[in-house]
Amino acid sequence: MRRTLLFSLLALTLLSAALYWTKPENRSTGTVLYWMTQNDAVKRETVALFRQWLVEQGLPPVEVRIDHSNQDITKKLVQGVSGVGGDLIDLYFSELETMQATGMLTDLTDLARREGYGTAMTYPAAYSDITVRGRQYGFPRNVDVTMIWVNRDTFARYGQPEPPQRWSWDEFEECGKRFVAAANPPGTRHRVYYLNRVWPYVLRRGLGLSTFNETMTRCTLDDPRNVEVLRRMYRWTVEERLMPTAADQAAMAADGTAFDSSFGLFASGRFAMIYEGLWALIRLRPLGDFRLGAVEPFTGGFANTEIGSGAVAVYAGSKHPVEARRFLQFLASEPFNLLIARSGDSLPPVPKYASRREFLEPPGYERDWAAKAEFARAGTTIAIAQSKSPFALPSVVYKIDGSAAEAVIAGQRTPEEAAREETQRINAEIALTISQDAGLRHLYDEQVARQRQIDARRAAGRKVPAAWISDPFHLAYYRAQGWLEEEPPR
Amino acid sequence: MKPRRRLQRWLTGVAFLLPNIAGFCAFTLVPLVMSFAMAFTNWDILRHNLFRHDPLRFVGLANFARLFADTEFWRDLGNTLFFLLGLPFAIAGSLIAALLLTRVAKGRAASGPLLAVATIVLVASAAVLVVGGFSRNGVLGLFGLMAGAVLVAGLLSGGTAYRTLFYLPHFTAGVATFVLWKKLYNPHTGPFNTALAPVLDGVSAMVRAAPAFFTYGLPALCGCAAVAIVLWQENRLRRRWEDGEAGTAAIAAGAVTLALPLACFLRWQGWSLALALGAAAAAAGLLFGVTVRRPRPWGRARSIDAGLSSELSLALVGVPLLLAITGGMLAGPALPAMAVAGFEPPNWLGEYAWAKPALMIMALWAAIGSNSMILYLAGLSNIPPELYEAADMDGASAMQRFWHITWPQLAPVTFFIAVMGVINGLQGGFEMARTMTLGGPAGATTTLSYFIFSQGFETGRLGYASAIAWVLFGLVFVFSLVNFRFGNRDVND
Repeated sequence: MRRTLLFSLLALTLLSAALYWTKPENRSTGTVLYWMTQNDAVKRETVALFRQWLVEQGLPPVEVRIDHSNQDITKKLVQGVSGVGGDLIDLYFSELETMQATGMLTDLTDLARREGYGTAMTYPAAYSDITVRGRQYGFPRNVDVTMIWVNRDTFARYGQPEPPQRWSWDEFEECGKRFVAAANPPGTRHRVYYLNRVWPYVLRRGLGLSTFNETMTRCTLDDPRNVEVLRRMYRWTVEERLMPTAADQAAMAADGTAFDSSFGLFASGRFAMIYEGLWALIRLRPLGDFRLGAVEPFTGGFANTEIGSGAVAVYAGSKHPVEARRFLQFLASEPFNLLIARSGDSLPPVPKYASRREFLEPPGYERDWAAKAEFARAGTTIAIAQSKSPFALPSVVYKIDGSAAEAVIAGQRTPEEAAREETQRINAEIALTISQDAGLRHLYDEQVARQRQIDARRAAGRKVPAAWISDPFHLAYYRAQGWLEEEPPR
Repeated sequence: MKPRRRLQRWLTGVAFLLPNIAGFCAFTLVPLVMSFAMAFTNWDILRHNLFRHDPLRFVGLANFARLFADTEFWRDLGNTLFFLLGLPFAIAGSLIAALLLTRVAKGRAASGPLLAVATIVLVASAAVLVVGGFSRNGVLGLFGLMAGAVLVAGLLSGGTAYRTLFYLPHFTAGVATFVLWKKLYNPHTGPFNTALAPVLDGVSAMVRAAPAFFTYGLPALCGCAAVAIVLWQENRLRRRWEDGEAGTAAIAAGAVTLALPLACFLRWQGWSLALALGAAAAAAGLLFGVTVRRPRPWGRARSIDAGLSSELSLALVGVPLLLAITGGMLAGPALPAMAVAGFEPPNWLGEYAWAKPALMIMALWAAIGSNSMILYLAGLSNIPPELYEAADMDGASAMQRFWHITWPQLAPVTFFIAVMGVINGLQGGFEMARTMTLGGPAGATTTLSYFIFSQGFETGRLGYASAIAWVLFGLVFVFSLVNFRFGNRDVND
């Protein structure tokens, strides 16, 4: 027994030592950075290009390792606050505020300006994805506009007309009904859908309604316009079956997630259209040579779509902050921007590269040229950043908003009940956040006072100074309606 | 023994125990104490962590107060309790499995032929898949082959093959089975719906061919079945009352069990909730009065809660059955119109109404071949054969042998399984929902454990999440207490 125990102890000690010696850090000669991101071809190429860029700049070598198994938000959060986060962290649309609130992201405001990747280097619409209350915490890896991709072959197969470039809800409904009737003849199971999904806030914005008021101090979804959006979503999903429910879509995924499956279903003609960003090209290119088009999301009156960015932030607990920041410098460089332009992974983070031939007309991808031009145009005309209130975590707001639509589609709530309930829940989140964060309380009070001023001006039919409005949608909407006073009041 | 020697032995013992004690302290005791303390604070991972040190505030019972006003909490508690309704079926299933396995003759070990059969099956399965792919014929062929192989393996090996197969779900990794079941439930390509589609096509053709039967006949049949069940149960209750096996509480529970589906029936017919409940209460009162109208002939005084556990167990099976019958009465007239377009197989995980039952069916499959079955097998082997011999000599039927010997003798095992099942049921459901449905659709499959995860790690509110966890602990404690109070009566008897 004693020998067995001793042998086990020895074996465990040897194995531990072997494990330690074979740790990636110990095998590398230079600095190793861990990048919490997806492991796709573009990311791998980015890593290789970064190494080459360092050599060209005469900088010491840095090895970037992709950590794709920890890109889930909960993993990023728990690992980050525990002191073991990756040096470089990918952040998607609503993750920045959560991560920043923990203090785990390096404040780059001054350094970025000095080192050449400040906010001025990228699209104004991407500011809200890299800054929190005026401070910069990352730099975009790409900037993505969401449009409706059209599989033109699918429309031709069922003899249906392709959608117009700009269209209304009623046109969408009418064309959609004709399409699903043609694609799913009587006596067959419903297998072909007109569109994969649409986001409620884009529909609401079409009616001039945002999730929050102008100063983002209160949720405004308890509004007949939101009720109408929810009613329409129910009709399109459950009654007319123009779109699958989220669960339907998940069920259609033979492998992987519903999100992954939508590209395959689009290519095979099960979805005539998908609502995705330009980055979808990365997934669509390997799926065949079908004809592609892109149109604007259908609108209730005010044409709009979403713009957002995938940003990279530097972990505050990184052992190699200088090298990590160098990676952000690289994201603003020409080689990286041209890589994004070539790959189809959204718009390059530096706007000037989006007008280059490499982006608009990449050789070998002639099929994508027209669609790319549409995305580039939408990025500067109808795209608006997400509304992210500093007084409620965007991820929580997004979840509440999604669950309201889901409850209506599942028949668990009427549109009126769902709208009322989500408004109450989001406002309760705001109340909870400011009650627990003394720093925010002060800002909140200021903004509430500002909101009163805005309401008074609107009631008097006067214009509102642009600087008073913090919600990006209201800013764009006010500007389009001519309600905005671009100069600050004297 | 010398003191020095004694000390040395004590130190050796402690040294052996130390890793376990350290592990217990580090991973159980300290987190337990910390989570209790956290439940009374505003601990938020976003503001209280390695990088940010906002002052931690004691908030008293604020987290608990917020919890009871949180609609999500009540919804998720409801879901958790709903999933618990599957427990009696799981217990019954594992008991039936154990009973069946004990009946399989123990043949001699035949490992050689068994291995040969297994090899042939594997090769043939691969061939079926190569030829048929995952097409309907391929999958059906594969199922047929597997069923045949199980039969042959059972014939060759006696009960060993069956025992192994029944226990298979228990030692298969959870997530792997969830992914497998997700594929089985796929409404478009899953084998369940592939098999159901032609059946439903046949049923819709049948309904279209004989609409009168479904409009009038099915409701009438269901009505007769409901009346028969009510009469049987009333008769049973009266007998138990007169025999002194059931106390007043048990009779009341039995009467309520019968009246509850009536309330649903009336509500579904458009009655107001108050009226439907009033009518059901009147019916329950009537049944209770009819049952206890005669005094007990032998004057046997039993406690008020005698037999309550068996009535509650029966209610867990009886209520769903009566509800299904009620559903048949109401749905029958609507079927011919629905059959015109053809019946579609359910979207198991995608529809609000089906998601919970779908997960329960999967959990039932896992629970039948679990440790409960092994415990029942052990319990069955411990029943003295003389009891059965004596029952045989008295001319007892198989059912009488079961109800009067097997079931009472297994009472301690059943009690243990029920207690553990309730505890695991209240705490469980997270992995299943996370892997298969992400808690949807519309929160239909979000359990309390999922809610704790979501509050703790998606929004970072560790204080609030801890409060939920302690409320869950309270629930587990209360359920266990009730179980000990009422559930172990037969054990002590």
